[in-house]
Amino acid sequence: MAALLSEEDRKYLVDLFEKELKGEVKILFFGSKRKEECEYCDLTEQILQELAETNNKITIETHDFDETDLVKKYNIEMVPAILMLDSEGNDMRIRYYGIPSGYEFSSLIEDVIATSKKGEVDLSASTVKKLEEIKSPLKLQVFVTPTCPYCPRAVLMAHKLAMKSPNIIGEMIEANEFPDLSMQYNVSSVPHIIINEGEGEFVGALPEDAFVEQIMSVVKGV
Amino acid sequence: MPLFNLSNVSKPKETNYDVAIIGAGPGGLASAIYAGRAGLKTIVFEKSTEGGQILLTDMIEDYPGFVSISGNALAENFLNHAKTFGANFTNEEIIEADLVSKIKRLKTDLGNEYTAKTVVIATGSNPRKLGVPGEEEFMNRGVSYCAVCDGSFFKDKRVVVIGGGDSAVEEGLYMTKIAKEVTLIHRRDKLRAQKIAQERAFKSKMKFILDSVVTEIGGSKSVEYVMIRNLKTNEMTKYPTDGVFIYVGLIPNTQIFKDQVKTDENGFILTDEHMETNLEGVYAVGDVRKTPLRQIVTAASDGAIAVIDMTKYFD
Repeated sequence: MAALLSEEDRKYLVDLFEKELKGEVKILFFGSKRKEECEYCDLTEQILQELAETNNKITIETHDFDETDLVKKYNIEMVPAILMLDSEGNDMRIRYYGIPSGYEFSSLIEDVIATSKKGEVDLSASTVKKLEEIKSPLKLQVFVTPTCPYCPRAVLMAHKLAMKSPNIIGEMIEANEFPDLSMQYNVSSVPHIIINEGEGEFVGALPEDAFVEQIMSVVKGV
Repeated sequence: MPLFNLSNVSKPKETNYDVAIIGAGPGGLASAIYAGRAGLKTIVFEKSTEGGQILLTDMIEDYPGFVSISGNALAENFLNHAKTFGANFTNEEIIEADLVSKIKRLKTDLGNEYTAKTVVIATGSNPRKLGVPGEEEFMNRGVSYCAVCDGSFFKDKRVVVIGGGDSAVEEGLYMTKIAKEVTLIHRRDKLRAQKIAQERAFKSKMKFILDSVVTEIGGSKSVEYVMIRNLKTNEMTKYPTDGVFIYVGLIPNTQIFKDQVKTDENGFILTDEHMETNLEGVYAVGDVRKTPLRQIVTAASDGAIAVIDMTKYFD
């Protein structure tokens, strides 16, 4: 199959990763043997393989959705799914459900860099303090479309919070690939962020403070 | 649109600059190109994805040199051009600005502080809300301001587009490729969009309801109808639809600057002919500025004029 990455983008990534990657990054990809159930699994796997070829610190491990133990371990809900482990095997608690194409490809790259730094991310001091108040599991689902220029900001915010707080899972969900789930949450305008499966929700790529405020109002039950 | 887009991967950064450009639409990116060429140390702040509102446009046909180019591709050209001449980029939102002092200070949503000797405000504008009952309530259930972002949720469904300008007509045309039915509702008896876009719309499957305004967006779980009032007859019609796309004008993004720079009554920033505001070393370019025309070509032109003038502070 022809390369998905243009030669120009490939070179850009080689340079960027050369400068930015600190430690190893293991990307776990979950696909499905039943192709009819996963239209974008092949394409997702291929772009990850091409990504891995740009720097030897990045490795890809491919799994099938029927590998129950692993699926259970990482709580994978649907495919295609992507997650990242740092050099010590720590789960960064970020998930991509659906292909990270279009503008979301940038999110994936940012996540690879952050994972290579063991989840070291740029968040304000006040956010870090608020995150310490989160003591129970919290799930952030960010519904996106690949053509939405506002969406990566919301995805990266959810992922950064997940990397920083051991209780947060941050997910990107490509809305078009999971129409039933999108319908369940009435997604019709993206980014649409669902907190704890419906305890809270908001639409739009809010600045950091406002984003965290939305989460904290759910955490505090107000 | 490239299948895999890398435009908003941000780069490492310093905190002191000659020029800080807030916003990476055509005005900001043109400023960055000229600033880079002038040898000024430049940083561009973008809160979402570099390119600005042109990313929301399917095809562009009125930027000289390109008979037809996707908004996405043009944005990428602008961005790569600016990067070639050395501008730095960061994906942070400015939440506080001191533009009055000689050295300008900018604080971002990530808690970082930057300084710059000059500032270019290129923050553009946001879609204006219609301000009718149901708009807020159905914001995430059928109401949208971005056809490229949300269009795919309305595949084979019925949508209405509100407005009569370039955005309404062009985004409406985009939706005719996705939706089963597209109806454009406009308060005047004719459209305001460029003639060529109008002609295409009339030839497409788009339907038109003119001389009419939407007074309410309604439904149970999601949008099911809009109430339309004919301004000539005052007749009210309940019009069934699954989606509402609103393009009724723009609100400038000047919230955090408006206590410092002078604006008109609508919030658009006032500048002199060199794009300088009432504050020394603070410029405004593109859609955010009070200007008779808001196009990619005029935003780019503003950027060039601003930066050439700005060099006086670095002689």
